[in-house]
Amino acid sequence: MRGSFTSVRRLLLASVACVLGAAALTFAVDPLQLFRPSRLIAPFYSDDTRMQNAGLIRSQSFDTAFIGTSLAIHFRQSDIDRALGVRSLKLAMTGSNSRQQSFVLEQAIDRGARRVIWAMDDFSFVDAAGIEADPYLSVDLYRRTAKGIAAYLFNAAMAKESVFALLRSIPPLREPLTRAAPFLPVKFALFDVDDIYALPRDFDVARAYNAETTRAAFAYITDPVRSSFLGEGYGYDAMVRHFERDAVGLITRHPDVTFDIYFPPYSILQFVAMRDASPATLKIVTDLTALIAQRLTRLPNVRLHDFRAIKAVTHDLNNYGDVIHHSPVIDAMVLKWLASGEYRVDPNKPTASLEELKAQVEAYRVRQP
Amino acid sequence: MLFNSYPFILLFLPAVLAGYFWLGRRGNRAPVIWLAAASLAFYAIGSWQFVALLLASIAFNYGIGYLLIAAELAPMQRRAALAVGVAGDLLVLGIFKYAGFAADNLNALLGTHVAVHILLPVGISFYTFTQIAFLVDAFRGQVAAYALPHYALFVTYFPHLIAGPILHHKDMIPQFEQEESKHPHAHLILCGIIIFAIGLFKKTCLADGIQPLVALAFDARSPSFDQAWLGALAYTFQLYFDFSGYSDMAIGISLMFGIFLPVNFSSPYKATSIVEFWRRWHMTLSQFLRDYLYIPLGGNRRGRALRYVNLMITMLLGGLWHGAAWTFVVWGALHGAYLCINHAFNALVPAIPSPLARPVRILGAVLTFLAVVVAWVFFRAERVDWALRITSAMADPLNIVLGREEIAALVQVTIYAALVWLAPNTQAIMGYDHGSRRVGESLREGRLRPLVLYGASLVLAFGILGIQSHSEFIYFRF
Repeated sequence: MRGSFTSVRRLLLASVACVLGAAALTFAVDPLQLFRPSRLIAPFYSDDTRMQNAGLIRSQSFDTAFIGTSLAIHFRQSDIDRALGVRSLKLAMTGSNSRQQSFVLEQAIDRGARRVIWAMDDFSFVDAAGIEADPYLSVDLYRRTAKGIAAYLFNAAMAKESVFALLRSIPPLREPLTRAAPFLPVKFALFDVDDIYALPRDFDVARAYNAETTRAAFAYITDPVRSSFLGEGYGYDAMVRHFERDAVGLITRHPDVTFDIYFPPYSILQFVAMRDASPATLKIVTDLTALIAQRLTRLPNVRLHDFRAIKAVTHDLNNYGDVIHHSPVIDAMVLKWLASGEYRVDPNKPTASLEELKAQVEAYRVRQP
Repeated sequence: MLFNSYPFILLFLPAVLAGYFWLGRRGNRAPVIWLAAASLAFYAIGSWQFVALLLASIAFNYGIGYLLIAAELAPMQRRAALAVGVAGDLLVLGIFKYAGFAADNLNALLGTHVAVHILLPVGISFYTFTQIAFLVDAFRGQVAAYALPHYALFVTYFPHLIAGPILHHKDMIPQFEQEESKHPHAHLILCGIIIFAIGLFKKTCLADGIQPLVALAFDARSPSFDQAWLGALAYTFQLYFDFSGYSDMAIGISLMFGIFLPVNFSSPYKATSIVEFWRRWHMTLSQFLRDYLYIPLGGNRRGRALRYVNLMITMLLGGLWHGAAWTFVVWGALHGAYLCINHAFNALVPAIPSPLARPVRILGAVLTFLAVVVAWVFFRAERVDWALRITSAMADPLNIVLGREEIAALVQVTIYAALVWLAPNTQAIMGYDHGSRRVGESLREGRLRPLVLYGASLVLAFGILGIQSHSEFIYFRF
């Protein structure tokens, strides 16, 4: 044996102490508000919605859960509350699949949601990893299992966030750090829960959402090099299975919860792209949504709204940033339509709006540059 | 198995160290066999289906090496044995790494639809190159007869097996033969842990920390000028911290066993020319390509024009070594062109007046860094046209977003740039000298000992806390 191992032992013990200290700090500060709502120091929020939702569900007070993909991500909770007279919690996650949405909604319902507003995209039913093995959404964090809590506490990023939260709670630093936080590489940078993924109040809507960008996106996705991606992951049988499991399963397990489900108003170019570049995908989409409409309108606790055939919106390409993502102006309209029930699907004619959409797609002619 | 995983840090490494030193009390060969077996187990845990291929490769090369070293062959027979050995290695590498690429290109040319789906064995590029060097040196008469366990350990030695550094038998096998390294050496173990901690921190906190920003350029359909630059810079720093972190961990782990591995990085982004960059980046690969490809091709001995041709061939093959895709060919071609320009400049402007030396060095560093960043875009992109989309955006300063996300990214990239340009590298911090087998002499003197110890414990703690999920090293796929 060469030399003494005292230094090695000291180094390892000091490391263990640092690890435990960091975990204790994260537990005390709890930046995600997983254990308790933040009271001693001001709460901050993150745009990392798959993680943030686990804390929101436990720390916020709400009666309505709002979910969807990127189509629903820019809504503000305050706007939803005002339009629908509810106390909402926005849980939308960009690129989320039906399995993730169903799981998160289940957690929200267990924590008190009595109404669900669900922006239902057909593509959310494509094949995806099982929720227990989902690498992007930690079920253990939501369920607060030992594994989930350990991963949260023994976490360098969370320790860093905790230190930043502490610094931000020191009075002389509070103002400058709160202002600077959104521009710093910190996760919990948003002061107001309403700002999670919302566009800034002074956002230049016309620059981001206009016919030029929409047409460019259409040209991009219909380019023969990429058009095969249009139908990527689409398979009718699997999508129906996922719909039954994730949507119908959840709805029927919670008969006391009201579900307002809507098909978002994509631009007409979304369907035209499929018509021209991948007709088989268009068939899957129309068949699937026909089945969804028939199934959902039969469930007593569901109100289904179909906004896809509202020509005044979907044919005006200035409303879009690409072929599906609509502007915040349309967000406001969606809330208005939900409140009025204007486009609610008639259970006696569940596919009427779909037939109207099909006719529009058939008739649409793409303007040549 | 990953170095940056709890099972490796808490179970595998302590168990292998304990077994190695316990057997070291009983003899000099048993620890070598133990370490070779542990290395195979390390490989098998992640890639069990390729263990047989690895063993066959070892047996094949050891056999050819035996013919070249011990059997008394005529010169023609020796040449034939070398040809068989190198061709065999390249054939296996070609089948497993390049068959799919070749088929895709033939399909594109001939309009056929031949599908080739072969999984890439982890580490095949590294252990193939290591063994080709062994065969060439055996042919040159520069290799002593090695025992099979030592040779097998030289190839499989787990700290380097998957992603290097590319080892040289003359450096490693004598160390495996030493009796002294079989006994625990407190100072080497301490230094090994500290170097491992630095590497772990680089990987889990720095490389994985900046990884999300890479999407700004590489996952965007049409990135803006700032997004393209921020994404490309993020990848530039991610790759450096990822690979140099891996190399540090390999060096640190090996040091705990009393074995010194060669240094693989020496602050490459501080280079003031492309020639210097390649002396600082992935140094063991550069040395390999120089000794076993560039110099055998003729190097700079046959005139300036042929030197440039040799440089281009070396870098094109170096690019292809990284992966079977046109993006790597373009990356290699870019670096080949950079090197040719650099050498041509040196030939045309042999001496810089001393008052201009410093500004020229700064300009050289800036140009070198920018050239390297542009080349990394091709290295990272999935397709050449996607890379061109990003480079086009990088050349269009009128299209700027600079929103909240971009400003936060800019702050993070600036912090990383400061680390890369201002902080000393691991071997400078630790006084690691592979050649003279010395490390941590200032630590031994004791003046800074408590500060270094507690600093290192913090780095180790954050390195461990940074382990979140399965995060592979970028170079595993090469």
